[in-house]
Amino acid sequence: MKARNTATFIMLVAGFLLFWEWLRPLEQVTDTDGSYLFVLFTVICFLTSYFIKNGLGKFSIKFTAMLLMLDYLFLDARLFSGPWLQQLQMELTFNIDLIWQNNWVMMTSFFRSLLFLVVLWLMSYLLHYWFTISNKFFLFVVLTIIYLAVLDTFTVYDAQMAMIRTFIVSFVVLGLNRYLKLMEQSEQKSDQRNLWQWMALIIGVVAFATIAGVYAPKLEPQWPDPVPFIQSNADHIGFGSGGSVQQVGYGEDDSQLGGSFMQDDSLVFEAVAHDNVYWRIESKDVYTGKGWETSTDLNYELIEDGQVDFDTFSAQQVDVERHSATVRPDPNNPLPRVVYPYGIAQLTSNNPEAFFIDRDYGVIESESSEQSMNNGYIIDYDAPSFSVNDLQQSSENDEAAIRERYLQLPDELPERVGDLAAEITAEFDNRYDKAKAVERYFAANGFRYQTTDIPVPEGDTDYVDQFLFETQVGYCDNYSTSMVVMLRTLDIPARWVKGFTGGTEALEQPPLPDNYSLYEVTNNNAHSWVEVYFPETGWVAFEPTSGFSNPTDFYYEATEDGAMEQELDEETNPNPEEEQQEEDQETEEEEEPAQDSAAAGGNQEQGGWGGILYLWLAVGLIVMILGIIAYLKRHQIQNWYAIQRWQRLLDKAEMEKAYLYLLKCLDRKGYPRETGQTLRKYAKEVDQQLEVTEMSEITSIYEEYLYHNQTSNVSEQKRLQNLFKQLGHRIFT
Amino acid sequence: MEYQKEVSQILQNIEKVMIGKQREVMLSLVALLADGHVLLEDVPGVGKTMMVRSLSKSLDCEFKRIQFTPDLLPSDVTGVSIYNPKDMAFEFRRGPIFGDIILADEINRTSPKTQSALLEAMEEMNVTIDGMTKSLKKPFFVMATQNPVDYEGTYPLPEAQLDRFLMKLRMGYPNEADEIEMLNRTDRTHPLDEIEPVIHREQLLDMQKQIEGLYVDETVKQYIVRLTAATRKSPYVQLGVSPRGSIALMKAAKAYAFVQNREFVIPDDVMYLAPYVLTHRIILRPEARYEGIIPSHLLKTILEEVDVPVRRELHG
Repeated sequence: MKARNTATFIMLVAGFLLFWEWLRPLEQVTDTDGSYLFVLFTVICFLTSYFIKNGLGKFSIKFTAMLLMLDYLFLDARLFSGPWLQQLQMELTFNIDLIWQNNWVMMTSFFRSLLFLVVLWLMSYLLHYWFTISNKFFLFVVLTIIYLAVLDTFTVYDAQMAMIRTFIVSFVVLGLNRYLKLMEQSEQKSDQRNLWQWMALIIGVVAFATIAGVYAPKLEPQWPDPVPFIQSNADHIGFGSGGSVQQVGYGEDDSQLGGSFMQDDSLVFEAVAHDNVYWRIESKDVYTGKGWETSTDLNYELIEDGQVDFDTFSAQQVDVERHSATVRPDPNNPLPRVVYPYGIAQLTSNNPEAFFIDRDYGVIESESSEQSMNNGYIIDYDAPSFSVNDLQQSSENDEAAIRERYLQLPDELPERVGDLAAEITAEFDNRYDKAKAVERYFAANGFRYQTTDIPVPEGDTDYVDQFLFETQVGYCDNYSTSMVVMLRTLDIPARWVKGFTGGTEALEQPPLPDNYSLYEVTNNNAHSWVEVYFPETGWVAFEPTSGFSNPTDFYYEATEDGAMEQELDEETNPNPEEEQQEEDQETEEEEEPAQDSAAAGGNQEQGGWGGILYLWLAVGLIVMILGIIAYLKRHQIQNWYAIQRWQRLLDKAEMEKAYLYLLKCLDRKGYPRETGQTLRKYAKEVDQQLEVTEMSEITSIYEEYLYHNQTSNVSEQKRLQNLFKQLGHRIFT
Repeated sequence: MEYQKEVSQILQNIEKVMIGKQREVMLSLVALLADGHVLLEDVPGVGKTMMVRSLSKSLDCEFKRIQFTPDLLPSDVTGVSIYNPKDMAFEFRRGPIFGDIILADEINRTSPKTQSALLEAMEEMNVTIDGMTKSLKKPFFVMATQNPVDYEGTYPLPEAQLDRFLMKLRMGYPNEADEIEMLNRTDRTHPLDEIEPVIHREQLLDMQKQIEGLYVDETVKQYIVRLTAATRKSPYVQLGVSPRGSIALMKAAKAYAFVQNREFVIPDDVMYLAPYVLTHRIILRPEARYEGIIPSHLLKTILEEVDVPVRRELHG
């Protein structure tokens, strides 16, 4: 028996370790902080379930633990003091009201934590039941592995170690489980020593398998990675009009824009640069009504000697300043393409490796793509400054190739888009002022920047039209795409550009020359903007997104006003890279969302339809767990109900009803009374089958009532209630 | 209960003599206590006489035996008036029927006339001789036997008259162990000689009185009536159990409950007694008999089909 207890305890510990694997990714995948508290709570729940037998005791310990956690996390007042209770009550009423209003998004983190703790409580209960009572382990192991695989595939979480841990724990436990079952079968008395021998064997085998598995050579994946396919499809199927929830970051597929995304501040690359520059990756030229595509396939050419022959602007027409930037991509977040500032001239890798460029879209990739990029590269570039006068006086004689390519619009584009563009720019006569007018239009007309609750256009809805006239909230993709499309309706060649904003300056700066800083660029800095074509000058970047400022350096000629270097935008970016005329060099970049897997729970933070969906999922999960618990506990529940009912009836001296209900319960439990069977015989039979005597005792009292017309006295009633209770326990367990 | 000790002592007494026949012994006692009569149908030599004699000895009652023969006259049963020349008057000589416990052996061997003299006395509790009616005193318990083997020269009791008997029992042969035990006991002295009376006749009468007053709930009465009614409704039955049968069943059940030391009758009593009390009151249709149905089987089915009362609402 002792061995059995030890084994059970080991099972429970293993169950906890596996469950811990479920909690570990929380901090990384969601915005949950202090997940150690949740782990602590789970430990308390597991231990209480195991060591405390009394149901009320269990409940009160877990409940107290929950209150303490919530108190520690959220409530300022002294525990159980008046204000404390008031605070608690306020939180509860407020959130419960929200639930009634179906307003899940507004829910406070107090309540979310409360719900989460309840889920943990229920889960720990369920697992305790699975492992120690019904000895079922396999299902949970499988679920854990699926969970980890999904997280590893679709989120930033790296589940390699988790997988190994899970493997070890689960195989040890499966072996132990087998031991328990063998013990049950053989009915042998197995002492502790026996158990340890068994354990030693299991651990040995598992350890060997683990080591062999980790260090053995492995084949490369035999199938193509299905994730991008799933992601691109998932974009379309989505979650209905609510739009999908995506993770911010750089992605290559922009054919379906829209939808909410969640913040992700994981590092993409570090850069040492002169001032805060925009990092370009690529441009796109074909607007489909839903998103962006390219008109041609990529056509790579080798970059020789690091000389990048790719101009977005004409160096002759524009003032430039030579700078150098060093980019170091984060190994955990490999970016498949090179990021570069405007005016790139020279690209030097720390490794001897070749780079290829596609001049149409400006995409630069290294020979071996992702892997070798990790070492970083140095870019020498000519940061441009544009003369506003030149731009204003720029002619409108675009080359045919440019016109053909960068004036493309879908046939289905609603006319009101063009009408609006014409209206905005009516008072301006030159291309530069028109572009500026469109750029300013959004911020001036109450368009709001928002990343959540953004719809994906469905059916015939046009992405730009929806943003301009219906939602008027959105993020960079909405603004930049809209600006490009509006300019194209005005016959101004424009294209859509992806990349990263300059990022934030690192807190700890290495010693660097003046005006140089170390910047950290994260997925949150993924961005998209606009380039407008000026025949003499080339491509000039514009920034229509509310809350962002144009990185391009514009200046007025001294002749004008003396305001020589006046920067039109509030932007303090003196590091304007200028786009030269480059019809093709584009890299795609932008906050193209990398699909976030739904498995990552706890992202209620981001609200919107996605948030509601997850909350519903959470609620559904709770309901499901409760359902399972109710199912597992159905006997106790029935028992409880039956006993309550008997007590009530007996209190009212309704002996007959109580007894008849007892007959009904027995009947349901598979002990039916046959017609013509006397109660006494039936009771005897039931007693034999259940190995008790209560039924006969109850029946003889009932006979007194039924066939003798004698009502029982008080002491007998008490005895009767006890008999019913005992019999109830026997029937239902 | 007052007489519990006596009852068990009587049963023990008889069981000393009647080995392995507890059930029949007990049923006989029940019939006696219920103020009814028993018809024992069995072959000779299985202990019918022994049982009656041991019963009467335990009770300190007067035991009489009538051996029925084809030439027996009613007056041989009831008694006869004889002229006494000394007194110059007729003097009544009481027949064996004036005993307390009477064994009417092989009742089917006598003529119907004599049979009916006995049956009338059983029913009416008095006999009429030469125009004078003489009451029989209680206790009055007749245990008649009939031999089912002999058909030649017998006069089977008319079926309609069988219900004068409260119960019809069969003894059956003892099993091997019981029979060996029987041999052992009769080796030296006959156990019958060792039986001492347990109760007086007054006590017996008192017990009978108590039994009459025993509580039978409406629910149980309803159950009895439903059972007997079911025998009448069965398609196999020509003549079902009469209301007299219902009364008999209730009386027997009361006595049985008394023997079981219970103050009230429960359906179990009724069910237990029904085969002994009701079977001989059912007359099947000839076609049912051809189909091989016998009353005891029919009764078994009825007992399975009629549900016992489990709730108070009588008409609910």
